Amino acid sequence: MKETKQFTTVEQMETDMKKLKEIADSLNVDTFEGRAASQQPQCKFGSDGVCCTICGMGPCRITPKAPYGICGADEHAIAGRNFLRMAAAGSAAHSDHAREILHVLHETSPEGPYQIKDEAKLIRLAAEWGVKTEGRDIYEVAHEVAEIGLLEFGKPFGTLRNLNRATKERQEVWEKQGIAPRAIDREISTALHMSTIGNTTDPLELVRQAMRVGMADGWGGSMLGTDFTDIIFGTPQARGTSGNLGVLEEDQVNIIVHGHNPCFSEMIVLAADSKEMQDYAKSKGAQGINISGICCTANEVTMRHGVKIVGGFLQQEHAILTGAVEMMCVDVQCVFPSIARIKDCFHTKFVTSSPICRIPGSVYVELSGEDTETAYKKAIELVKDAIDNYQNRDQSKVWIPENKQDAVVGYSTEQIISSLDGVTNSFVASDPTGTYKPALDAIRAGVIRGAVAMVGCNNPKARMDHNHTEIMKGLLANDILIVGSGCASQAAIKSGFMDFDAKEICGEGMKRVCNLVGIPPILHMGACVDISRMMLLVTDMASEWGVNTTDLPVVGCAAEWMSEKAVAIANYVISTGLDVFLGINPPIMGSSKMLEITTEGMRDISGAGFTYNTDPHELVRLMVETIEAKRKALGI
Amino acid sequence: MKKLFDRVWDGTDQMVELAEKALAETIAELGESAPAVMPNTAYNLSCYMAWLGKEIATLGDLKAAFAEAKAMNVHEPRLGNVFEAGKATFLAAETIEACRYAKDPDPYKGEYHGHLTDAEVRALGVPLVTGDIPGFVVIVDPAPSDDAAVELVKGYQSRGIYVFLLGGIIDQLKSKNFAMGIGVRVVPVGPDPWQVCHVITVVHRAAMIFGAVKPGDVEAFDDYSFKRIFAFVNAFAPVRDIVVGCGAGAIAMGFPVITNDEKDMWPVPKSLLIQPDVDAFIDTSLEARDIKIKITNIDIPVAFSSAFEGEIVRKSDMQVDVDGSKFDTFELCRSRDVQDIEDHKIELIGPDFDKFDAGSAIGMGIIVEVGGKDMQTDFEPVFERNFHYFINCIEGAMHTGQRDVLRVRLNKDAYAAGFRAKHFGEVLYAKVKSEYEAIVDKCQVTIITDPDTLAKERAEAKKIYDKRDERLGSLTDESVDIFYNCILCQSFSPSHVCIVTPERLGLCGAVSWLDAKATHQLDPNGPCQVVTKERVIDEKVGLWEDVNENVSKYSHGNLERVSLYSIMVDPMTSCGCFECICGIEPLTQGVVIVNREHGGMTPIGMSFPDMASMTGGGVQTPGFMGHGKQFISSLKFMKTEGGPARIVWMPKDLKELVGAKLNASAKALYGIDDFTDMIADETVTEDPEELLAYITEKGHPVLTMDALV
Repeated sequence: MKETKQFTTVEQMETDMKKLKEIADSLNVDTFEGRAASQQPQCKFGSDGVCCTICGMGPCRITPKAPYGICGADEHAIAGRNFLRMAAAGSAAHSDHAREILHVLHETSPEGPYQIKDEAKLIRLAAEWGVKTEGRDIYEVAHEVAEIGLLEFGKPFGTLRNLNRATKERQEVWEKQGIAPRAIDREISTALHMSTIGNTTDPLELVRQAMRVGMADGWGGSMLGTDFTDIIFGTPQARGTSGNLGVLEEDQVNIIVHGHNPCFSEMIVLAADSKEMQDYAKSKGAQGINISGICCTANEVTMRHGVKIVGGFLQQEHAILTGAVEMMCVDVQCVFPSIARIKDCFHTKFVTSSPICRIPGSVYVELSGEDTETAYKKAIELVKDAIDNYQNRDQSKVWIPENKQDAVVGYSTEQIISSLDGVTNSFVASDPTGTYKPALDAIRAGVIRGAVAMVGCNNPKARMDHNHTEIMKGLLANDILIVGSGCASQAAIKSGFMDFDAKEICGEGMKRVCNLVGIPPILHMGACVDISRMMLLVTDMASEWGVNTTDLPVVGCAAEWMSEKAVAIANYVISTGLDVFLGINPPIMGSSKMLEITTEGMRDISGAGFTYNTDPHELVRLMVETIEAKRKALGI
Repeated sequence: MKKLFDRVWDGTDQMVELAEKALAETIAELGESAPAVMPNTAYNLSCYMAWLGKEIATLGDLKAAFAEAKAMNVHEPRLGNVFEAGKATFLAAETIEACRYAKDPDPYKGEYHGHLTDAEVRALGVPLVTGDIPGFVVIVDPAPSDDAAVELVKGYQSRGIYVFLLGGIIDQLKSKNFAMGIGVRVVPVGPDPWQVCHVITVVHRAAMIFGAVKPGDVEAFDDYSFKRIFAFVNAFAPVRDIVVGCGAGAIAMGFPVITNDEKDMWPVPKSLLIQPDVDAFIDTSLEARDIKIKITNIDIPVAFSSAFEGEIVRKSDMQVDVDGSKFDTFELCRSRDVQDIEDHKIELIGPDFDKFDAGSAIGMGIIVEVGGKDMQTDFEPVFERNFHYFINCIEGAMHTGQRDVLRVRLNKDAYAAGFRAKHFGEVLYAKVKSEYEAIVDKCQVTIITDPDTLAKERAEAKKIYDKRDERLGSLTDESVDIFYNCILCQSFSPSHVCIVTPERLGLCGAVSWLDAKATHQLDPNGPCQVVTKERVIDEKVGLWEDVNENVSKYSHGNLERVSLYSIMVDPMTSCGCFECICGIEPLTQGVVIVNREHGGMTPIGMSFPDMASMTGGGVQTPGFMGHGKQFISSLKFMKTEGGPARIVWMPKDLKELVGAKLNASAKALYGIDDFTDMIADETVTEDPEELLAYITEKGHPVLTMDALV
């Protein structure tokens, strides 16, 4: 008997979330739903990007009656500066995260808590950067490479070294258009400087710098972060996991990791895995220790260990509201400060770990890249603490939703190539392994129409995961391959779209590809910082094909974005030559010029631009249209 | 460069246009009520049956259904549409051929094979399951040279791949006098692309017969062909659009296309492969379809492959004729202590083949001695019975008979290539060692042609045969503690489980209780598992709780109860590769039995294909049951319903085959002499009234038995 896969619908997820919200209400504690409602109506000037708070004269808001701010800036300058500052902040977040990883790399040692897991990747990178490896201790190489990497943040001259990974055409465009990023910190500084009182008011130049600071993220901070995270913790390989609130276990010690930088969570996973802690948990009456994750830290550890996914950004409060969580350990970014209030209603311990993310009401246990020696010891203590806390769980307050889905994750570019190797033919001379040719052949023949990178967050402006999942269904039905990262990937996991069986919702082309290659139709490429993987993916595909990245039938989509990082990402994706489709309007709508520049003008700079539409089905239509138009231009 | 999808659509359009024309012409000639049927099949026009769920009987039906086929040809650029167009191409092809057969039921007059009968399809069941046929290739159009054509087909043949040919390659092989036909698994299907439908229908029928896939369940057909039928296509340049259209259909079914055409061709991984080097076609194709060929290296000067199993050596072509009717012959497998065997010793006692004149008859004996700590004397006959098969797989050799009445022929080509007596030893050594490697540690072979030694050894062998018969005679369902199941077929028939007992061999005829025992020993986690028989429910009907539990487990819950001795109460299911099927004849309240080889009608108004389509695929149909030939004379045959005395009709050939044993059983059970004389056959009648009259006249015991229904 053929069994049809039961997917989890957005409605089912909403039912779970509603019930947890009722628990919050009964405990008289706030969650995002209530706060989002209280914020209505949201400020129109802010939403449109025409409120300026940059200097002490402000705030200034642009209306027909007051077309200029006090300094004389118009709506285009204000929206442009705000836009640039968002991109700069996003770039700073990813890049500072990467810097932390580089410091950890610099501290790696054969006996220490942090070691080199992917030597081959380190050696490849060393060769790329001209670092001698022959006859040298691998850690010595690592430390030298780390230093060079760290210099990328503040080097006085030249542009970023990773830019030469791009196609020649892209490098020329970036050079010519003035968006080839110099040192990472320099671009962030420049962005802030340009947009401070009394500087640039030309929206085109503000956007140009937004692209450049975005590039400092995508081809700088994020790319460094991804590469070195792989080197320290291992390059992801395909593995199974499961996701949604139902992964929390009733009879185990539940520890949730949350945030973005995996240095902390890796230690927690390692500690929880130790026999010492497993035994200790059993001695305290638990069946085991269940580590699960939220947001991009979850993505990092699921890609490398198969750690289960509790949910995306908007589910962090609800995870605590199940009453079954002994401890939540967070690092940086996207952490709701309200966790501190909600956890007070339960036995849950809330641990912050980074000087970047200090939240009143949390226990602070600092883990910094410059002092790694005690990291594992601290993790053991925390896990022990969580186990001790298990007995404090109030069973009458526990409600764990049932919904969860299986998924296959871990699609680094290395894994994708290795999967594609499986469909090459060793007797056909023009069919080499180690390339994207099988994927390109499938695209050229029309079996796959194109690819979409589905990335980004959740945002209460849209029903949670609704845009993501509707778009995924629409694209897959049209034989469009999806690569995912961030909370978009988690929407896919929770729905069941990252399981092998998800081929059922695909068109015949994607279904066949999934069957032959042995992949799910949506490939989880990692955390938001790993969108850099996608840039290398399209670059290498374009190079192998002998076309430009702008020619590829590939686009990006952030259907429910909310973080400033998404603005940085969108800017580097566009700079790399791919169109970006947003399902949440950015705060620029109050400026006709910004609207025109971001949707059209950017195309003159990089060959790609934004498309905004809040209707997921319209977005599908627009993306399919773009992809088919690119195919037509290629003659395929 | 013309886009791949556009090529498919142009090809589909061409085929549809041809079909439209053929249909209009044929209807104009014969009228809409004229039958549109392929001969000897219960699955008429299986493309229509499979993909549209249509039963076509007349040209009028075909016309109506063809409109639906045309509607599948939608030119929207998605693979789903292209797959549909590919299937529409096959439907159109089937329409063209249906028109042809409507005008003439034998349109190819032996020049091409055209349509395959159900019997021919069912005969594929066992070799498919055992892996003797690891896959199918459809080769389209002429190879770059006649020699290349021969080379390619021979290459597939030597690997056991079943070859279907379409178009000019057939003429190439003919010009090289290459032997073709079902027997050597190289089938010249037809001269044009549209005869491809005769190959596609084999796949559909396999799905319906062995997989119990229901007509119209498109998804299940796709799944079956993709996962279970290891077929692929080799298409030679220049590949026409109409062939590309067919290719889309093949790929839709999961069959990759390998071509040497580089013009306007788009590679698609594991689906459409461009291989400019024709010499590499075979390796490329097998890898593309994930076919792994188990290779046993045998040191002989000719090819060795299951494809040669059906090869016939005619008198005129004969170099050596081992003739058991005139000389001493025998073959024997016996176990010995390991230390007494010299592994791979091949000894010839007597003159070699070059000492005899071409075409002369001789005597020959073969002794294969095996040893191993898990070897049991019970396995000797199991191994020995396979000598027939091992020797038949030698290119240029033919083997019939068993024990001490053999006929082995070697043709002149094989002799000229250097094949000598010891090479039979090489083959048997290599096969016994590889097939039974878990049991046989050492093996040595003696070939005897010296008349005196032959006479002496044959007498020795006879003593062993007698002992075996004694042992076999004492083996009854009651005398053993365990039965075995057999799920060898599950790769094709996922819901079927055979229960094999001493008195009931597997319905394919290939697995006896001893075979199952050996198979279990060879691979304890393999296809034959122990079934206990401790908790009896009803011994007469053959119901055990243990058996039911086992069947439920191994059929994945598809079956809950199976009786071993009844065709009315929970009869055993079948995969579809049964040798015979029996079914109730209502007027006499007896059963008719028909074997797969019998092409004609039976008194119940159904031919073998019709009756066979009632069961198979693991479905229980009370009143119909598939079984092995040797089961007919079993004391357990239909024991619940009164035993073999229920048999009222059988084809003559079958009657002759099982007659002696059946008579013995009837004598033992009922005290009746010459029982088979009471059973009617096709020479007596195919009419139920006449059948009743005949058995009444003969005083057939069924007339005194209780009604079956």
